[in-house]
Amino acid sequence: RPTPHVVLPPGTHLLFAQSGRIDHIPMEDYNMKKEEAKAVLHLPGKVIIGVAYDCKEKMIYWTDITSPSISKASIDGGEPTAVITSGLSSPEGIAIDHLGRTMFWTDSMNDCIEVASLDGAQRRVLINTDLVNPRAIITDPVNGNLYWADWNREAPKIETSYMDGSNRRVLVQSDLMLPNALTYDPQTSLLCWADAGTHKMECMNPGRGQRSTVLEGIHYPFGITTFGKNIYYTDWKRNAVVEVDHYAEQESDEFLPQKRANVYGITTAYAQCLPGQNYCSVN
Amino acid sequence: NATRGTLGDCQPCPCPAGATCAVVIKTNEVVCTNCPSGTTGKRCELCDDGFFGDPLGQNGPVRACRACQCNGNTDPNAVGNCNRENGECLKCIYNTDGFFCDRCKDGYYGNALAPSPADKCKPCSCSPLGTVDQQTSCSQVTGQCPCLPNVAQRDCSACLPGFFNLQSGSGCERCNCNPIGSSS
Repeated sequence: RPTPHVVLPPGTHLLFAQSGRIDHIPMEDYNMKKEEAKAVLHLPGKVIIGVAYDCKEKMIYWTDITSPSISKASIDGGEPTAVITSGLSSPEGIAIDHLGRTMFWTDSMNDCIEVASLDGAQRRVLINTDLVNPRAIITDPVNGNLYWADWNREAPKIETSYMDGSNRRVLVQSDLMLPNALTYDPQTSLLCWADAGTHKMECMNPGRGQRSTVLEGIHYPFGITTFGKNIYYTDWKRNAVVEVDHYAEQESDEFLPQKRANVYGITTAYAQCLPGQNYCSVN
Repeated sequence: NATRGTLGDCQPCPCPAGATCAVVIKTNEVVCTNCPSGTTGKRCELCDDGFFGDPLGQNGPVRACRACQCNGNTDPNAVGNCNRENGECLKCIYNTDGFFCDRCKDGYYGNALAPSPADKCKPCSCSPLGTVDQQTSCSQVTGQCPCLPNVAQRDCSACLPGFFNLQSGSGCERCNCNPIGSSS
């Protein structure tokens, strides 16, 4: 299959969490500059699950389950600031609408999806029915869509709604087991996920519904993010960040952090926001 | 800080053997990096998620980090399954509860330690008509709901023989049948 021509801004990084820290891996073309990987944030004692990046203010947002909270810090190494500290039990996935200046997160004990502005104000519950183990959550700000996955062993599913919680629909239900990881690539309009039960990485166009397998036999994915032709996932089996070439349909590289411990959420921190606007950003 | 030019510029990391450390620029605080396997924290004093213990013995004897002990009643795909210091189980499943997910949660009965999830904890399902104060909890072991007077069955769903009117909601009444004209 041909590789689509996608121009990516330079200075892009991968950000991923490993219990008490958030590391970054600089990207050059489509390669991880592994020798330059290092911690951007030391958060000793915390267990960081979800990581998101606001390309506009260049801030990292993360969820912590030890003193359940959502915090942020500048990618240039600023002081961590707590944004939400109350009413959380097990906050896991987090996603940002950089156009609407809001954040969305899942809580696997409160069994809900919440939204708030990036400073923590205007908080409200978006979805609190039919959720058992919600984890991954992702936004498509340009089209105003929200996507999330629930790894409920009884009935795993991937769902979508508008960013106000309306028009909720199940997108994927069959042949899922533990869909831990979810990502959306605005340039290809593909929603991709990785499943720690079926050990498959799959993608679909949410509008057209075509589903295709990228790779089978992956190990234990927890988080996933796309970057051009590559998809990166964090792997609980190898404690690694694994690079998958979407079009060659094979693993092409892996980064093994020095510390051998579980790796959690991963996201792509683009040097500049990708172009686009939505209703909330103009009104 | 090696730029000051004094003998004490470089000090050993206050970390267990094998770990490295870094100085947080803004606060000048020293934190350990690359703690020994299974440990984390400023001084490698905590266990990784999914493990518990006291690897430096900060609160008594040293307890090496070990996996959460929740009687198989947590999900390995979940995060934060137990308290990293005392091991208290935080995400019991299969309707179990307790420090080690070792008993059935309120409203359920059975053996939380049974090997198969199907044999673990079943719902009490107390009959609201026959149960004291319409309670929903039952005996953890036998599953017996607290029945109103003259009400029988584990779930208090029937009157004792010779009694009727479970619907009253206040227990069953004696039938008061004339023994001469009754067949039983």
